[in-house]
Amino acid sequence: MTYVVTEACIRCKYMDCVGVCPVDCFYEGENMLVIHPDECIDCGVCEPECPADAIRADTVPEMSRWLTLNADMARLWTNISQSKDPPPDADDWKGIDGKYDNFFTPSPGGAAGMPEV
Amino acid sequence: MAGLREETVTSIHHWNDRLFTFRTTRDSGFRFESGQFVMLGLEVQGRPLLRAYSIASPSYQDELEFFSIKVENGPLTSILKDIAPGDRLLVGQKPTGTLLLDNLLPGRNLYLLATGTGLAPFVALVQEPEVYERFDRVVVAHGCRFRSELAYAEFFGGKVHGNELVGEQARDKLLYHASVTRESEPAGPRLTELLTSGRLEADLGLATIDPEHDRLMLCGNMAMLDDMRTILSARGFSEGSQAEAGGFVYEKAFVG
Repeated sequence: MTYVVTEACIRCKYMDCVGVCPVDCFYEGENMLVIHPDECIDCGVCEPECPADAIRADTVPEMSRWLTLNADMARLWTNISQSKDPPPDADDWKGIDGKYDNFFTPSPGGAAGMPEV
Repeated sequence: MAGLREETVTSIHHWNDRLFTFRTTRDSGFRFESGQFVMLGLEVQGRPLLRAYSIASPSYQDELEFFSIKVENGPLTSILKDIAPGDRLLVGQKPTGTLLLDNLLPGRNLYLLATGTGLAPFVALVQEPEVYERFDRVVVAHGCRFRSELAYAEFFGGKVHGNELVGEQARDKLLYHASVTRESEPAGPRLTELLTSGRLEADLGLATIDPEHDRLMLCGNMAMLDDMRTILSARGFSEGSQAEAGGFVYEKAFVG
């Protein structure tokens, strides 16, 4: 099994999970984090730390969609091992439904995701 | 993942053919809090082979201590069981975990409930002076299948009283409760049974566990954790984390 990040993370990206992950298995997109299923050791420490309640074990029903997304995006996005500041408006997006359909972007986060100047 | 450091094995103690404890050197830059776990392992065929291990030594000690099972054909433990002093191990540089005092609300009595090697983080925690400053009583309850698996029984039963930092407080406040489920006649109760029946507190002469006053840390097998979380939630205990302190916290006992 593995833990997965669900759409509740989108536009919140609080980073608490990154700080506690013992194996640094989080990957950063422009407005979301995902877990690399092959690197997660199922320790479960991140799950209760997420202020947006976005992390679930993939054994929970209806997680297959998010598991696929986590696996796919972890291959494309940048590994993140240290917490950064969450977006300034993170709290405004907490608990909003349907964030995947409206706001998901496959763009990578971190330095690679910064707009070119 | 985060960097790895090499540490040297300094001593090994085999409790029986299934359990052993070992100690390693500790890099002076390695910081952790008692109760946390860290990735540990060794290089196998040119690649690091790591598993999560709770640190059984307190945060102030010069060496690191780990308590492990030996799994037949286990990828790591089948090799790890044969380590000798002087051997090099890999230790991760990012300790983590939820079994932290700060994750619990202030309270009266602290119950540290473990099955098997889930005892490890509590070996560290009972050597931490702050545990005794925060709680009136500290209870360690260890559940095992067989008597020979009651590792650290002598430590909790008296050796810890010799600890320079916490010995005196441990003598006054630390209580130890062991339960063997498959070898005694009649079979000893499981931790969940001890808790639901109220026998744990009764055996120790303590007041009934109460979400208003008492706090718990759990570490052990998944079945125990699942059952215990259900029992505790039903009794009004909230789950704690770094984000928000609560009535109980838990960690899996990681299996090789």
